[in-house]
Formats: sequence, structure tokens, C-alpha cells
Amino acid sequence: MWESEIEGKKLTFHLAGINNQNFIMRDDETGTWWQQVSGEAMHGAFKGRQLTNVFTDEITFAVWKREHPNGRVLRPDDRVSKNYEAANWEEEYEKLRVVVPVDPNDKLKPRALIAGIVVNNQPIAYAMEALRQQRLILNVIDATPIFIALGEDNKSVRAFERKVEGRTLEFFVKENQFVDAETGSTWDFTGKAISGALAGKQLKKISVLKDYWFDWKIYHPDTSVYTANQ
Amino acid sequence: MQANTPSKTGRWKLWMALLLLVVTTLVIVAIPVFVIMPFKAQTSAGLEWSYWLRRVSPWITITASVMALAFGIKLWRGARWWSRIALPIFLAPILAATWFAHQNHFEWMFNPLPNAAYATVAEANFVNDNDMVLAVEINGEAVAYPVRQMAYHHVVSDVVGGKPITATY
Repeated sequence: MWESEIEGKKLTFHLAGINNQNFIMRDDETGTWWQQVSGEAMHGAFKGRQLTNVFTDEITFAVWKREHPNGRVLRPDDRVSKNYEAANWEEEYEKLRVVVPVDPNDKLKPRALIAGIVVNNQPIAYAMEALRQQRLILNVIDATPIFIALGEDNKSVRAFERKVEGRTLEFFVKENQFVDAETGSTWDFTGKAISGALAGKQLKKISVLKDYWFDWKIYHPDTSVYTANQ
Repeated sequence: MQANTPSKTGRWKLWMALLLLVVTTLVIVAIPVFVIMPFKAQTSAGLEWSYWLRRVSPWITITASVMALAFGIKLWRGARWWSRIALPIFLAPILAATWFAHQNHFEWMFNPLPNAAYATVAEANFVNDNDMVLAVEINGEAVAYPVRQMAYHHVVSDVVGGKPITATY
């Protein structure tokens, strides 16, 4: 998700093409071509510039509506809704072919699902398989302590910086909630402490991109990868 | 022969010019379609070419159409019946290419959503609990964009918490 304004100019975007299985959008105002996944201008007046990222959660509807009972939901367009993906589209997509070159040394298959984060310009891809096995993974990325966790729905992923008032916390999962070992406070899936000494504190959210391994790697060639068997 | 009709060599040149316009307009619109096709690897040079061709083709094809019509009118005068049959066959692809250069064929496959409508949580029976949504929250306003809809439309413009955003997937 991107802010529509860049350098004070509001842009209107349309689908304009495909670049290695990630789409290109074109703005009506300047005709610049933008890469959807990176927000980067590839050709045209804004070439080299990047759209400002809007923090986006990719979670199940169940989790979202519990957290935002007063939110609004995009309605389907009845004229074309027959063309929407089927409910099992995720399985269907995994069978689609990949046309970009595949590195034979990769630990993951091209269409393996990953949850990707970028911390201090350092990209890491966590295999969904690893998250399903471990539920919560603690890491330190370039001196920033983080954790990444899978929701009880087995689909929603969130990541947080695990530092509160200068103190690094070690988390574990207990009955679908997170508990920090230092104070025993309980935290919910939004990263907020709901009971214990730290009640009311909010962990800083890190944006998570659920993606296919091959696509993530194109836009983050220097990525590290965390797999289940490590 | 009438005074204002071209000579035999003049007619020959006009036919050649028409043929050149047919080839040029078709090549100009066909290259970007071929290069930025889904399920195919793209190169940055191919993309750059496609970008420029998509950018200039609306104007080039219009110019080509005007020229082709002018040549066609000249050739029509004093033409034999077979030339009058050949003329539309030459003009049709030029006009078709001109029309195509002004279309966004990607939006034929994936219709845009210019007037997006929204539902409250209680009304949203079109999305299952287990479906993924893209969610944003700006200045206290929360919006969910179901992935199944976004995987088709790809681009939705919105204003959330007073900020214009573009939801993409």
C-alpha cells in the first residue's frame, strides 16, 4: 500500500503491465511506470523516486474484525465478482509456474510462502513452514531484537521490535498470547501488553509482507532466509 | 485521366507509403503487448522499449491514421474497382492499431474499481473469517481490503483518515 501523493502531487494509478510476475502501474498524471511491490518508479518523470509505504497488515478477516469492529470493508464489484479468485486460490496459485531463473542452492522452493520483513535495511524471509512449526521466532537483526509470530488462525503473521524502555524482552507463546520472560506480562496479537507489570505498553510493529520466495528474492537479492530445519 | 489524380508512379508510391504505415502501426502496438505479457520473463531493456512505445504510440498512430486517410482519398479518385477494394484492407489495420494504442488492455483482463464501495463489519457477508485481508489504519480509521478482490482489481484508490492512499496487491 502506498501513499498516493509524492512531492505534493496526487497521483491516480492504473494497472499497466507485468514485470517478472509483479505488476506495473502507471499514473494518469505523469505517465510514469511504477513497480507495485517496491513502489519504485521505473520509467518516466518520477524515475528513481519511491512512493511512501503505508503500514499494512495482512491478516485474516476474523483477526481484523475483532480488532476493528467499527472498520469498513471493500465491497466486491458485482459486475466482475465471478472473475474473483476461488476461495482456495492460495492452493491454486502454488501450482502456477515461475518464469524467473531459480537458484539451485535455494533452501526453499520458488513458490514457498514466506513472511518477509526488512529491519535496518536488512531483509529476512521467514518460511511460513518454519512459523507453523515454531509459532514465534526470536531474532536479533543488526542489533535490533525482534520477534515474528503466527496467529492462532495459522495464517496471520505479525512482527515486532521486542524492546521496551531500553530493555530487550524474550517472548514465548502461552495459550495464544505472548508472555515476556522478564516481567511475565501478557501481550496480545496487536503487540499490546494486556496484563502484568508492562500492561498498556505497545511494541513497535514491523511490516510483514507475505510473498512467494521467488518474488521476495527478486526485490531483496541480499535477503537472509530462515527455514524450518535450521 | 483527371488533372488532380496522381500519375501511375505517384499512385505506386502512395500504395507503398500506405503499406509502410500498416507495418509501422502494427509493430508499434504489438511490441509492448508481446514484451509485457504475463508468465514470461521481462528484461529491463524490453521494459524500457515498451514504456516508450506505449507512451508515443497514441500520437504516432493518430498521425499515421490521418496520413493514411489522406493517401486513401487521393488514391480513391480515379481508382479501378480492385483498388477500391484494396483501400479498406490497408486502412482497417491502421485504424485498429490506433484504437488499440488508446486502450489499456490490462484493464480488460482486470477491471478497475473507480467507485469503490465499502461495507460495515456486520454487512460484510461476502468475506469469510478465514479469508485474508490487507488492513490499514490511519488516524483511527480502519479499512480492510479482502485479498480475493484485490488479486483481481490490483489497484484501489482510497482516502483513509484523511490521507489519499493506493491499495495494491
